[in-house]
Amino acid sequence: MKKKITKAQKAYMQNPIIQFFKFIYLNIRILLIVAGGHGGTRK
Amino acid sequence: MSKIVILGAGIAGHTAASHLRRKLPKEHEVLVVSPNHNYQWIPSNIWVGIGRMEARKITFPLAPLYKRKGINYKQAKVVSFHPEGDADHPPYVVVEYVYGEQRGEKEKVTYDYLINATGPKLAFDLTEGLEPGSNDVYSVCTYSHAQHAADGLEKLIQKARNSEKPLKVLIGTGHPKATCQGAAFEYILNVEKELRRRKVRDYIQLKWISNEPALGDFGMDGMLLSYGGEPMTSNDMVEMVFRDRGIEWILGAGVNKVEKGEVHYENLAGEQKTEPFDFAMLIPAFSGHGFKAYDKTGEGITDKLFKGFMIVDADYTPKPYEEWKVQDWPETYQNPSYPNIFAPGIAFAPPHSISKPRKSPNGTEIFPSPPRTGMPSGITAKLVADNIIDSIKKGKTSLEHKGSLGNMGAACIASAGYGLTSGSGISITTYPIVPDYQKYKTTGGRNIKKTFGDIGLAGHWVKLALHYAFIYKAKMKPFWWLIPE
Repeated sequence: MKKKITKAQKAYMQNPIIQFFKFIYLNIRILLIVAGGHGGTRK
Repeated sequence: MSKIVILGAGIAGHTAASHLRRKLPKEHEVLVVSPNHNYQWIPSNIWVGIGRMEARKITFPLAPLYKRKGINYKQAKVVSFHPEGDADHPPYVVVEYVYGEQRGEKEKVTYDYLINATGPKLAFDLTEGLEPGSNDVYSVCTYSHAQHAADGLEKLIQKARNSEKPLKVLIGTGHPKATCQGAAFEYILNVEKELRRRKVRDYIQLKWISNEPALGDFGMDGMLLSYGGEPMTSNDMVEMVFRDRGIEWILGAGVNKVEKGEVHYENLAGEQKTEPFDFAMLIPAFSGHGFKAYDKTGEGITDKLFKGFMIVDADYTPKPYEEWKVQDWPETYQNPSYPNIFAPGIAFAPPHSISKPRKSPNGTEIFPSPPRTGMPSGITAKLVADNIIDSIKKGKTSLEHKGSLGNMGAACIASAGYGLTSGSGISITTYPIVPDYQKYKTTGGRNIKKTFGDIGLAGHWVKLALHYAFIYKAKMKPFWWLIPE
């Protein structure tokens, strides 16, 4: 059985207060991953 | 004094032009050649396509900005490449004006450095009947296509209100080797949300049709990601979202023909099938533009520059999937035959797909081509600009800046519904974009700490924030360069 999105999870996903903090967290995390550097793969 | 010519003013071309102009002294010329008079922020086409955002909010005219910033601009399309020049000219491209009094005129544009950022050709012609707006099938690949799609969706909503039988919406890929599944994924979720908002969802059946072998492949062989602190495959994540929203799916489908109200496709089992629809949005195949190249004597040398898209420093040796390596992917986007030519963004020829190639028993190749989205386009364009700047300043070729898709992260913030308090987004980051199965042996080629997924309202806000931030950056407003690619 695949995972389902429960009612409690939906409430969490749409709660503006929780999501405001999630917004800040996501921005920082995405910034660190995407702008955190890149380079070559060959020596 | 050096002259840098940039072909194309999309995310890659505009990014390269902006950085070159900012960092190079004024004695060096930066010239953009593009047939488009507007810059467009493509990721927001999704919202235009459901009628929730006006096209003018995702576009702005290029000419006034370039004039103000000291970037020369020709509204023209490139016709041919002459990387050795001729008896009277140094290297040049032939361009044809597409607007104004000079429309139809051709001109030789010489250069010291050439950046080919022409992106893909939207190859609607490779699928019979796929032309946007015909046969009730639409596209969201450009803002004008997205506007047509919004009109089509509005008609569908009105029709649903008066229809006695359920209507069918089909969204996905329109060619056996199409890419950009992410855009179609965003669109189907936004359409679903819009239909609920307009209170017609119960009268419309929504179906995903894709050349992916499994949900969540996205042309990247799928991914193992961290969701809520636990490992989860992108396949499970997308299936969870589709089930939650009542979206059905057809996979391994190579769409080969569209007629009014019907899509014809071959699946990986080799069966020829037909799917009815009342409204469809199908992403076409992307192809090279079919440019020709000539040497100084006028002999054709297209094979030295193009392999569909432009040849760069990738390893194009044909080899089986099992032998593909992350090192096959380019690092500097420099053409090996002509070191003053570069092709960042979508204009370079990938060495191979990322998804495992698959064929039907009839020999039809049905699998996604590699996706190359906005973030990598911006990053690769900036590194190309930085290498050119270094080369000009040092007086010799410098390739210090590198950025392989095998050593670069990307974020896909997929809108899953528009609305400041009711919207939703699916945020996915992937590192690296091209899986490195040697380095990350147990996690599907990806760094699980940097590959994660999240669903919720915050994702919608992130996408909105990126929309405003990147348009601010593209308009080159104060301190625009502080916003990373």
